[in-house]
Order: sequence, then C-alpha cells, then structure tokens
Amino acid sequence: MISLTSPHRTRAHDWPAGLKLAGLCLASTAVFLTDDPWVMAGLLAALALAYALPGRAFLRAGARALRLVLPFVVLMLVWHLFTRDLRMGLMISMRMVLLVGLANLVTMTTSLQGMMGVMRWLLTPFRRLGLPTHLLETAIPLTIRFTPVLIARADALALAWRARAARRPGWRLVLPLMMQALDDADHVGEALRARGGPLKPAEQED
Amino acid sequence: MGRSLVYKRRRCGRVAEGETNLAEDPVRLDGLGYEAGGQAILSGITLHSGAQKIGVVGRNGSGKSTLSRLMAGLLKPASGTVRIEGVDVYADRRAALRTVGILFQNPEHQIIFPTVGEEIAFGLRQLGATAAEAQEQTRATLLRFDRAHWLDAPVSALSQGQKHLVCMMAVLAMQPRLLILDEPFAGLDIPTKRQLARHLDRSGARLFHISHDPADLAGYDQLYWLEQGRIIAEGPPAVLLPEFTAEMMRLGDQDDLADISA
Repeated sequence: MISLTSPHRTRAHDWPAGLKLAGLCLASTAVFLTDDPWVMAGLLAALALAYALPGRAFLRAGARALRLVLPFVVLMLVWHLFTRDLRMGLMISMRMVLLVGLANLVTMTTSLQGMMGVMRWLLTPFRRLGLPTHLLETAIPLTIRFTPVLIARADALALAWRARAARRPGWRLVLPLMMQALDDADHVGEALRARGGPLKPAEQED
Repeated sequence: MGRSLVYKRRRCGRVAEGETNLAEDPVRLDGLGYEAGGQAILSGITLHSGAQKIGVVGRNGSGKSTLSRLMAGLLKPASGTVRIEGVDVYADRRAALRTVGILFQNPEHQIIFPTVGEEIAFGLRQLGATAAEAQEQTRATLLRFDRAHWLDAPVSALSQGQKHLVCMMAVLAMQPRLLILDEPFAGLDIPTKRQLARHLDRSGARLFHISHDPADLAGYDQLYWLEQGRIIAEGPPAVLLPEFTAEMMRLGDQDDLADISA
C-alpha cells in the first residue's frame, strides 16, 4: 500500500507546502557546507527527534520509509573500508541519511494536493507559453493511485497461473499484465471524461 | 449467426399520465444507435421519460453498458440523439458535467485519486470550484454521508463496498440532475446493496438504473427491456419484471451460450 502522506496529523501538516519545499532546498544545500562528523551527527540526532515528536506511529512509519537507504549506506561503508577512508564513508552515509530523511519528512507531512499546488505554481511560465500543464497535475496522482492496483493485478494473474500450473510464472505474464494495464487505462480515461477530466478547471483558463 | 428471435416493442400496462409529456421530458433518446467494428450494438433506441426512477433490464451483451455510456456523453452516437434536460451530453461536455453523473460497475475503473478527499474534490474542481471551495464542499459531502473521517483515507485501504460508496459520493457531490447507474450493485452483498440504494434514494437526483437483476429495479417508476440492442418492451415493474423473469427462466432452460456474436 502506498500512502506517502502520514495519516497521523502533525502540526507540520498545516504549514504551506511551498515553504516546506523551499526549506528543504535550503537545508539540503546546507548539509554540504559542513565537513565535521560531529556537526553531522548532531543534525542526525535533531532529525531523529523531529521524527519522534509526533508520536510512535509516525516514528515507525518514518523508519520504514528510511529503510530504503540502508543498502546504500552499507555499500558506501564497505567501499570506503576497502579504500581505507572510513571517515569519508561515514560522512557520505550520514549526509545521505540526512538528505533522504529530511525529504521524507516533508513528504510525510504534505498532502498530494499541496505538492500539486506548488508544482502548478512552478509550471506557471510553461502554462503561459500555452503548454497543457494540467495534464501533468492529473498524471502524478494517477500514478500513485494505480501502482497498488497494478501490483494487485500482477498478483491475481500469478495466482490464476499457479492454480493451473506446477511451474512458477515468469516473463510470460508480462504481456497479459500489459494488456490489462492498457484496458485499465481505457477505463480511467472514461472515468476522467465522465467528470470533466480532459477539460481544464475553469479558473485555469487565463 | 444470431438468433432469429424478432421482438416487437410493446407497451405493458398503462404508463401513468403526465409521464410522457414529449416536449419537456428530461430524458430524451431519439433513434439512438451505436456500432463497433461494423456491428450494430444499439439501434433505433427511442425513449422519452420524465419518471424519477427509470430502469432498464437486459441480459449480458444486450447493449446495457453501451447505452449507459452514450447517455453519459462518453461515446459518440452513430445515429440519433441523446438529450438530457435539453443538453447534448456528448457535444457540450461542460453542460453535461452539471447534468449527468455516471456510476460504473467496478469502482476500480472509476476512482482516479489515491485518497477519498482528492477523489471527491476532483469533480468539484472540474465544475469550476476553487481549491478552497472544493475542499469545503468535499467536507460537506462526507459529512452528509456520515463519513467525515474518510477525508484523508487511502482508497487502497477501503473494502469493495466502501469503494462503491466513495464513487457515489464523488458523483453526487457534483449534484447531477440525472444519475446513470451501470450495474452498480453487481457482486455486492445484500446489506451493502441496501445501504447504497438508500443513499441513492436520498440523493434527490433522477435515477437511470441499468441492470440484469430484476430485484434491483422492483421499486422503480418506469422500466424498459433491452434485448439485442433494441428496446422491446416498456411498462411498470409490476407488469414488466414478471415477464422478463419468466423469459430469462425460459432461456436459461435452453442452451444459447453456443452463439458467438463476433
């Protein structure tokens, strides 16, 4: 299940998305200004505190999201063990965790609509040029919505296969899965049209 | 090879006075036809109705889904016209959005957004509401359905019946004059069906319900029987449904699954 925004309301949920994203840009740049591992460790501790403040559920969800960087951290440390520059490896690893952790914090406390609002504002010059930017604003939530649906489709196909075959399914499911995805796309197109999807919202007509 | 059964449209029982005022009927289909791959799916559909609850019964493959999509303005008629409250729903999409809403059979084919709130707000934005207005109306809609706590709920965490309700809330939030239902209850258990039907009755929208199940349409005002792309009979449910059921039983005792219509 993909729900990047935390259902656990925090005070940061109410901050403007643009402000959070701008702050993230600044903080991410600032992380590269220090070369002191102690400063970095302090920042990491502050990050951990930020995750812990909204409560245990939030902390656990955050930790789960951050597991993604773990393999890269291990790879980085092992590599620098070989090159005998463990200090460098530690710095890079901490920086990486800090960057991903900060970005994830913004993701968890910002609704998709908030993100889309910022994107819409950033795309204003392109819209002025006549590009249909509203299509992008629909495409991104569609991707998030249909990732779990496609995974469920793949699971169902694999089940149907295993119900009548002794061997495990492999690449042969790719084509039927693709056909189903195209079929789904047709249905979504229809649903979009039924509620005015391809039209621009009235206020965008400038 | 199609079957050689030829039906002639007939009227079963009397249609109540005032329900067929041709000039003002809000639902008007005239000579409506549709083809796919050179094959006629629907032909010569003429249907004028001012009833509050209109039903269409028909078997699988009788053209029910095509009819619902034509009425929602999602398909271009090959011939004839669809006018709902005077609006050509295919040509005038902006007016159509305020006039017709459609509920599909499978909620997975209808839900576009990852959270309930976004799903409901989408249609409102398309109607011209600002983000703040859409948010406000979304909350109001959820409150009306006693589901205020669903605002940020991820769609993927909902049960099948709950997804159906999300689709219904998203469409009803747009306050359509006519709500088209394409087998919206297929595969749902009886309590879920009854709850959803109660929400529909309370919505105040005119209903156009298409189904293969006579039980879904028992309480409707005016029914039409669709067979092989044509309306072959119309009348009140008390007369038409027993005839339909008897014919379905008769066919069920035969073997017509052998025909391939492609």
